[in-house]
Amino acid sequence: MNLASIATITRKEFKDVLRDRRTLFFMMLLPMLAMPLVMIGFTKFIKQQAGEREARVLTVAIEPQQRELLRALALRWRDAHNIEFGIVMFKLFGGSDGQDIEAMYRRLAKAAVARESGAGSVVEGSLGALYKNWDQLTEDQQELLTDFGNINKFLDQIEWVGFDDLKTVGTLSGGVEIPGDLPGALSQERVALAIQEKEIQASLHVPLDLLERLEEDPLQAEIYVLYDRSINLSKEFYERFHGYIEALGRHEVDERLRMNNLRPAFIDPFDVQAADIATDSRMLQAVLGGVMPYMLFIFCFLGAFYPALDLTAGEKERFTLETLLLSPVSRMDIAAGKFLVTFIAAVTAAVLFTASMYLTFTQGILPEGATEQLNIQFEPLALALTASLLIPIAALIAAVVLGVALLGRSFKEAQNYVTPLQFLFIIPSGVAFLPDLETEIHLAFIPLVNVSMLMKELMKGNYLWDFYWITLGSLLLLTGLGLWGTSWLFRRESVLMRS
Amino acid sequence: MTELVIARELRKVYGGGRKQRTVAVDGISFTCRAGEIYGLIGPNGAGKTTTLRMISTVLAPTGGTATVAGHDVVTDGHRVRESIGFLSGNTGLYGRLTPEEVLKYFGQLHGMDTGLIAERISELAELLDMTGYLGKRCDKLSTGMKQKVNVARTVLHDPPVLILDEPTSGLDVLAARTIVDFIRVSREQGKCVIFSTHIMGEVSRLCDRLGVIHQGTMPFEGTLDGFREQHGQDLEEAFVGILETSA
Repeated sequence: MNLASIATITRKEFKDVLRDRRTLFFMMLLPMLAMPLVMIGFTKFIKQQAGEREARVLTVAIEPQQRELLRALALRWRDAHNIEFGIVMFKLFGGSDGQDIEAMYRRLAKAAVARESGAGSVVEGSLGALYKNWDQLTEDQQELLTDFGNINKFLDQIEWVGFDDLKTVGTLSGGVEIPGDLPGALSQERVALAIQEKEIQASLHVPLDLLERLEEDPLQAEIYVLYDRSINLSKEFYERFHGYIEALGRHEVDERLRMNNLRPAFIDPFDVQAADIATDSRMLQAVLGGVMPYMLFIFCFLGAFYPALDLTAGEKERFTLETLLLSPVSRMDIAAGKFLVTFIAAVTAAVLFTASMYLTFTQGILPEGATEQLNIQFEPLALALTASLLIPIAALIAAVVLGVALLGRSFKEAQNYVTPLQFLFIIPSGVAFLPDLETEIHLAFIPLVNVSMLMKELMKGNYLWDFYWITLGSLLLLTGLGLWGTSWLFRRESVLMRS
Repeated sequence: MTELVIARELRKVYGGGRKQRTVAVDGISFTCRAGEIYGLIGPNGAGKTTTLRMISTVLAPTGGTATVAGHDVVTDGHRVRESIGFLSGNTGLYGRLTPEEVLKYFGQLHGMDTGLIAERISELAELLDMTGYLGKRCDKLSTGMKQKVNVARTVLHDPPVLILDEPTSGLDVLAARTIVDFIRVSREQGKCVIFSTHIMGEVSRLCDRLGVIHQGTMPFEGTLDGFREQHGQDLEEAFVGILETSA
């Protein structure tokens, strides 16, 4: 081997592949952009979906008189909580400042509900103040705002139609069943049909003596809801109705407890205080631990893919390989130069991806459900050990991809040979995904699976030394084998001169 | 005159074992001296390319020996490759590099120092009229331009032996003329030139000596004049006649 020749070849091959847009894309652009794009896209999508669902006006069929009862029930609730609202306003804004208090209440309540459902971005105005000061409110006050929001949403974002206005005609399709004991119009097939055809989302039946029944014994009023849980918006209606009725129910219970001189604990015998010591960052780190090996393998492969094909089968296809073989350098030097370029491309892709992912999570974009600024911390030792595995893995992938690509007579043929190889690397790395698979020592003897399991543990900060040494040993052996195989192929004239 | 290329009973067998056994070259011998143009003539698939590849070390002979400038092609391949310039009709260039970068690269692979490489590049660019596109990417060049770059690449390290495998195939008349002129100039410079072709016009205009290859063997080997004497003045007729009698 002649180091000067290897350096010359490596430099030239690098220059060559770096001028190839495909290589640049897979080696640099994709690894850098993949994570931010997925995170931004995903978060935005979820927010948008939630926002759209929130803003949707739903239609429900109900008798007008019954509708008025539902409104009256909500008013009763409002009257009872006026003073508490005043306190909340003062806490958040330092008083009402002569603004339209009713409108403020409503916006605030709407923001509280949106906050809970993750659709925060769709509500503006008082939201900022609410978010900033939410933690200053007591739990009861937070509940009050959320309840009010749920009640308002049910009354405001619902369109009420009478049964006579229903237009849908036809027959019900299979899979729909109307229970036999429904009161009033709810038992009529045309109502179910209107739900099925999405003219309305649901139908309600409220007893006309609702308010009286709440005073009687057994203090209970039946309300009937007809809906179809296989239809998303119908289900959404049921959830809104549930939020509304739960808020009102909570209020009724409070009233009853007060009137009977009972404390809240009377109906709530257990008070469970669960303390979770895992922070959002730790949860993320645990999830990433499973995903990381998989992503690293993929990006090593993607990074190596185009340079490997371009420098082997691509050279055959463009009739440049023979010229190279005719220059006074050994075939081992040629193989070494091509390997180095492929290897560096694989490592670059993996490292860029890791760095971009780290920055994505720590510098701003939060995954769904995270409430705190994330702070992923890798111990230097864990990083060093991960790198000590990544280097031979990248070398193995580069050697195998390069060797197999050399078998192809044309770029396309090589592509057909190399593409299936990704499963060879990706399936073992996916094993780390399996949530219940514990890292036991016998797994250290399964090539590639051991690497992904070990990387997962390292991400979580667990150092399994026996496991590490067995894994590293087997990996180095495998990588050595891969390099030997590829160099053997480079010495075969039947492989090199295949055309 | 010194014999720079000596081929003795060269033989190449492909396959064997489970694969179909093919004898591509079966006992070919010839020599070529400095300042001489040797033509390898034969139809497609006769074994011309295989023979030239064995002489230039890309393929290992199954039997026989060959030396180039005194170096054995099997045991001293590195020295052989230092002594030859190889060009074929479909030799490719690195499309994403410029001619200057390609030439520099091969100069470095030949162990030339930077100053000498630059000197040779400007010399050859002048000679082959390439100065206008030395900095353009190769995949933007015309076929004729590319072939000139290839010629420059072949002689950059000033090798004593040139091996040209159907160097004019696929070229238009003007580009082919460049190659023919280049072969002539090389002879004047005292180089040993071996080229293969199936174009009889090139043979009569250029060759000092020639060998006819057919189905891996060499039914004729000698001077152009000897060939004419033996087989008649019309080269093409003579060529076809040899192929028919040796079949």
